[in-house]
Amino acid sequence: MAGILASGLGVLAHLERLETQVSRSHKQSEELQSVQAQEGALGTKIHKLRRLRDELRAAVRHRRASVKACIANVEPNQTVEINEQEALEEKLENVKAILQAYHFTGLSGKLTSRGVCVCISTAFEGNLLDSYFVDLVIQKPLRIHHHSVPVFIPLEEIAAKYLQTNIQHFLFSLCEYLNAYSGRKYQADRLQSDFAALLTGPLQRNPLCNLLSFTYKLDPGGQSFPFCARLLYKDLTATLPTDVTVTCQGVEVLSTSWEEQRASHETLFCTKPLHQVFASFTRKGEKLDMSLVS
Amino acid sequence: MDAELAEVRALQAEIAALRRACEEPPAPWEEKSRVQKSFQAIHQFNLEGWKSSKDLKNQLGHLESELSFLSTLTGINIRNHSKQTEDLTSTEMTEKSIRKVLQRHRLSGNCHMVTFQLEFQILEIQNKERLSSAVTDLNIIMEPTECSELSEFVSRAEERKDLFMFFRSLHFFVEWFEYRKSTFKHLKEKYPDAVYLSEGPSSCSMGIRSASQPGFELVIVWRIQIDEDGKVFPKLDLLTKVPQRALELDKNRAIETAPLSFRTLVGLLGIEAALESLIKSLCAEENN
Repeated sequence: MAGILASGLGVLAHLERLETQVSRSHKQSEELQSVQAQEGALGTKIHKLRRLRDELRAAVRHRRASVKACIANVEPNQTVEINEQEALEEKLENVKAILQAYHFTGLSGKLTSRGVCVCISTAFEGNLLDSYFVDLVIQKPLRIHHHSVPVFIPLEEIAAKYLQTNIQHFLFSLCEYLNAYSGRKYQADRLQSDFAALLTGPLQRNPLCNLLSFTYKLDPGGQSFPFCARLLYKDLTATLPTDVTVTCQGVEVLSTSWEEQRASHETLFCTKPLHQVFASFTRKGEKLDMSLVS
Repeated sequence: MDAELAEVRALQAEIAALRRACEEPPAPWEEKSRVQKSFQAIHQFNLEGWKSSKDLKNQLGHLESELSFLSTLTGINIRNHSKQTEDLTSTEMTEKSIRKVLQRHRLSGNCHMVTFQLEFQILEIQNKERLSSAVTDLNIIMEPTECSELSEFVSRAEERKDLFMFFRSLHFFVEWFEYRKSTFKHLKEKYPDAVYLSEGPSSCSMGIRSASQPGFELVIVWRIQIDEDGKVFPKLDLLTKVPQRALELDKNRAIETAPLSFRTLVGLLGIEAALESLIKSLCAEENN
């Protein structure tokens, strides 16, 4: 009898535990949802709090200056301590500011217990784009612990050449590849988002963004034949293509004016960023319209 | 998330302490005694000094070592950085949850023998989906200013507002510069009578003379160029100075074709070996 009761109690206790677990996990998922909602609000809150704190700090410093003036008359020893404290704080602010400045070189890093985690920033024409990191272990030999470099960037090649002998060259070389990739990706993205109206088919691209293929028309909806462009970027550290071919779809022989246009397009793609070329196409289109109106 | 919550709590605590420090009524100094005045001053100082000197020193030491490590890692030494932030968000934008902030930065430093001073602006626009940042203005002052290649490169970087390209190319330029300097120095030390550097090892030209063949002179011009994309590469040229009679005797036109042959030589042997072989060939007799 006692045995049955005991096992019954055991089962009850077990059920109770399960119940608490379920309610706890319910609470957790509810919390998670509210947490996620709060995250966005948190960022703004932190901004505001920081501003308020900076203002108050300035006010306190101002007060301290007047206190200092009084103390100078009263207790000369204390002023030395306050001066030292202030000097230290100023130095600290200075050093923090300089550390922040390294982000603008494109290369910055933080010391880790194993070595250093280097952060490589990329940009194209002033637009700040993705960042990548490389976690280095300071040992002999130097090695990469882990990284966020895309798999199609030849990281192992660059590391094999330079990592052990010239780490600066390794880092800046990697910067070159990543910035070029970021720039090519940016151009392709801008083409797809801003000039979809001129494209007559989907933009075909590979992950490395060094082979692009697309068809376009200068007058969408018009009677002209579409152009077919193929851009190859053999140099992975460049943001302009090395090989460009533009053909006119469905036409065997082009009239002189069309041939001129085709050739000029080829030159344009070789010398200007992709989205800028298309921007000039739309500008020309607008000019044509204006002439029709007058 | 936790880190941000912790920061919020820390900020709130700091703000509370700062508020208390501000609210302390200012003492009517003239009325109190000397001792009381100093006690009040110390009390106020302690409220405001929420971090002790020791903590500050530790933190400063840690950050300074991080800074010196970064400087060694990148080869770029930043000495100063100041920034101003201006909130350009209009009420219209706030309604649409858009935030627009303009940052003005000024930073200065050096990369080996090149010192730079940069002033730039970054415009940050934050909407519901993402944060976009762009450099909207860039001004660069660089010293030394003698290299015309550098000044062209600086204008291009400013035009493109390409901060990162500036630092990248600067690094590779300095790397080539230092390599050229050490190569010239090394050759001068090895062949002190044959090699002369009229403008010192930092210049872009090196001359080769032979005491036994006066009138013959070879000048190697080694320039470091930066192209449109910010790629840095060396460009070497050979200039020959030869007496008139030698030119007349030169049936094979070796002297005329020398500059081209030199380029091929560099391609085959590499820069240092090519230079050394030139020195050896002109001063063959002395070496024997």
